[in-house]
Order: sequence, then structure tokens, then C-alpha cells
Amino acid sequence: MGAAHTHSIREGRTPRPQQEWKAMIAIYLYLAGMGAGSFIIGLLIHWTGVILNPPSLPFIELLGYRLDLTKSPIFWGPIVVSMGAPFLILDLGIKWRFMYACLNPRTSWVARGFIILSIFIVLGLLILAKSLLPFKWLYPESSPWLIPEGIAFVFAFATALYTGILLKATKSVPLWNTHLLPVLFLASALSTGSMAIILSLLGSDPIAYHKGAMKVLMYAEQLLVIVEGILLYLFLSRRYRVSEQGKDSVRLLLTGKLRFVFWQGIIFLGLVFPIVLEFISSYYRNSALLWIAGLSLLTGGFFLRLGILRAGVKDRIPMQRLVEIRYGLVKNSKSEFRV
Amino acid sequence: MEQKVLVVDQEKCTGCRQCELVCSVYHTGASNPSRSRVRVVKWEHMGIYLPMTCNHCDNAFCVEVCPTKACHREPEKDNRVVIDKKLCIGCRTCIMACPFGQPFFDAGERVTVKCDYCDGDPQCVRFCDVKAISFIDANNSNLARRRESANRLADLLKQAR
Repeated sequence: MGAAHTHSIREGRTPRPQQEWKAMIAIYLYLAGMGAGSFIIGLLIHWTGVILNPPSLPFIELLGYRLDLTKSPIFWGPIVVSMGAPFLILDLGIKWRFMYACLNPRTSWVARGFIILSIFIVLGLLILAKSLLPFKWLYPESSPWLIPEGIAFVFAFATALYTGILLKATKSVPLWNTHLLPVLFLASALSTGSMAIILSLLGSDPIAYHKGAMKVLMYAEQLLVIVEGILLYLFLSRRYRVSEQGKDSVRLLLTGKLRFVFWQGIIFLGLVFPIVLEFISSYYRNSALLWIAGLSLLTGGFFLRLGILRAGVKDRIPMQRLVEIRYGLVKNSKSEFRV
Repeated sequence: MEQKVLVVDQEKCTGCRQCELVCSVYHTGASNPSRSRVRVVKWEHMGIYLPMTCNHCDNAFCVEVCPTKACHREPEKDNRVVIDKKLCIGCRTCIMACPFGQPFFDAGERVTVKCDYCDGDPQCVRFCDVKAISFIDANNSNLARRRESANRLADLLKQAR
């Protein structure tokens, strides 16, 4: 009998990540974060009055109206968020019942998220429409617009943070149950959002990224990527120490079945490759390299959400420890399982 | 008020999974253990069988995280935690929140389901041949363990004399 005697209780310790929330939720978290991040950066650009590249198509004619597209590259974030929200609804068992969550905003973070995203999408689209529409009676540059812009700014921040808070609210998954997660997702939202703005502004003047305000935006984006990398290190190192399941989650990402998502998706595509390519493109002034770097960074942002989502391992229940002790399956380590 | 709870005696369980069958028949009309609210976890080569069911926790995470209040407590009915299928949106947040892996997503009904004590007459208790699951007064739930401890103490006292 050559079959190896498997130890099923000890096998139970091999990481078993959650299977409930999959790619659909990751897409939702990513689009919500990236859209909100680009809107935050866009509003900051708008408020500082910096003139960036004009888009390659500054005006379009629609139904006899001439729509002004000069501000659209910095304000299109709410469109991305509104494209992402249906992914959460598609993941529900009974789709049309999402309204029930909207009607109970004080119950949980899923419900609060519906409200936060809805307000952000409405205000964001209003500000985008204000910048597009040719109606002078709207006074698009007047000071009263600062009020909806300020509220939209707050809700954009809330949306970017919420993507992390939604996972943090799941207390039984040690990997997610930390304040660092919303901060990490916020940093990722800002870095991917700023890169999305850079890419959308590149069309008209491909070599303008190395001068003026675009250069500042590029530096800010690179700084955000570095901050994101530091936060990711802090997040993983702290989660590794917090509990056995936190350790399992980090192992899953670093050396387990999610290692390709982590090393190639998050680290290589999301952090290292964009920084290196941007550095090279600034030397050779090659916008194609910048396009590749940008798309790589945006892909990495998605893998960050996907990796963290799929690596969530639930806390062990006390009775598992009881069974181990009762059936003599405890390790002989002095530091562990001393009864 | 007297509150009843489900108590599992793991040493009596033979792993026959009768409880899963009767549970699914009672709740769904189908003889399909994958739709049952109780699941028997097995370690075959060691002979350990553990029927896992909802603990109706005092501080229930599933109630905390439910976005529609579909998952709620009913103090008047054995303080049980139940899911209202008419309100559940199938977001599976409760499944994520429960450390005991309890609410289950019913692929047929597209909602989350969990143990509801079968409205006071749990079918798993009724049909368990070896009486591994019992539905007893919460205050007496550890009576057997207390008796066992008392017996051990009595043996020690006898030896001491």
C-alpha cells in the first residue's frame, strides 16, 4: 500500500481562501477605486487652474450643440465608477433586489456603499456635464460650483476608501481586517487614477508629458506608486504576524497558488514595470513606452484587488483547536499549542 | 424565557448524513444534501464526524453585516437568527462574515439560507437515529459535561479515601 497517509486535520491548515467573492467583485472594486481616484486628481488639477494638454478632439457636435471636451479627460472618473457599479449588482443572487440595500443605508457597509457610490456618480456626472455643455447660463467657472465640487471631492474620497472598508468590515478574515487596507486601496486608486488622466491627456501632444504640469503629474503618479509599494509591504508584513490565517493569506500570495497574481500582476505589472518604463521613457521621450507603462499600471491595480480578494482566509474556529488537542494532533512546539 | 439550542454530541455521530437529507427535504422538498442547512464534516480515516450547524450566536456577525436586515434575530422564537428569503438579495456578505462557515448560498433559490430550528421542531434531531443532535434547553446544554466532571471528581475523592 503505497498510498501516503494524509492527515486531514493538518490538511485543514493548508490555506483555503474564500470562494464567495470572485473576479466580479474585484472588477467592481477596481473600477470604483480608479474612477474615484482619477476624479480626485482631476478636481485638484481643476482647482489649481493648471492648463494641461488639450485633448486631441477638443469639441464635438451633438444634436446641434457643440460639446466642450477640454475638461473631460480630468472629469471622466464618474463614468468609470458607474460602469463598475453594475458588477456588484451582477454578483447578487437576485439582481433587482439591490434596491433593498439602498433603502437600508444604516445597516451595513454594502448598503452604505450603494449610497456613497450613488451620490458620487450623480454629483460627478453633474460636474462632467457642466464642463461639457455649452450653456453659458450654467456659469461653469463660477464660485457656487465649488459647493457641489467640494461635496463630490469628499464622496470621491469616500468611494476610494470604501472599496477597502467593504473588505475590512468582514471581521472573520484577518487579511482584510485592518485599517491599512482602505489606505492601500486609496493609494492605488490615486496612482491608477492619475495614470488614467495622464493617458487620456497624451493623445494630442505625445511628447508634452515631460514638461510643465504634465511633468508634475507624472512625478506625483510615480510618488504614489512608491507610496503604494510601501503600504503594500506594511500591509503584508503586519497581516503575516497577526494570526495563523493572516500568515496563510500572505503565504498564498507570496508563494502559494496566487503567487503569479502577486509577483507578476501586482509587483511587476503594477509597481516595478511602470516605474522603470516611465524612467526610460523620460530619457528617450518615447510616448509608446509611457502607454505601455500606463496600461501595465492600470492592469496591476486590478490584480491588487483580485489578489487581496482571493487570498482572504477565514479565521479558525475555536472547536478546531479543541479537536486538535482532544485527538493529540497538537504540535510539540513549546511556543505553540501549550495546553 | 426558556431558550433552546441545538447541541451536537460528536462522539455519537456515525456520519450517516441522514440529518442533511431530512433538512433538505424539509426546507426545499428535494432530497439534496447540498441544499441542507446542516453539513457533516468528516475525517474518514480517523472516524471523526462533526455535524456543523448554525450556532445562532449572541453577537452574530451575519446579522451585523446584512445590508437589507434579511438576516435578523427572533427573540420570541428561541432567540434564533434567521434569514428572510423575501428580503435576501444574495450578496453572500453573511457567508463571508460567519467564522463558522454557516449560511449557505442556495443556487436554486439564489438566496442565502441557514438553520431556523425548523420552526421549533428540528428535523435533524427528530431523524437522528443515534441521537447525536439534540434540541435542549440552553441552560442544560452543558449538563452532560458537568455530570462527567462531577463523576471524575467523585472518582478522585474515592481514591483519596
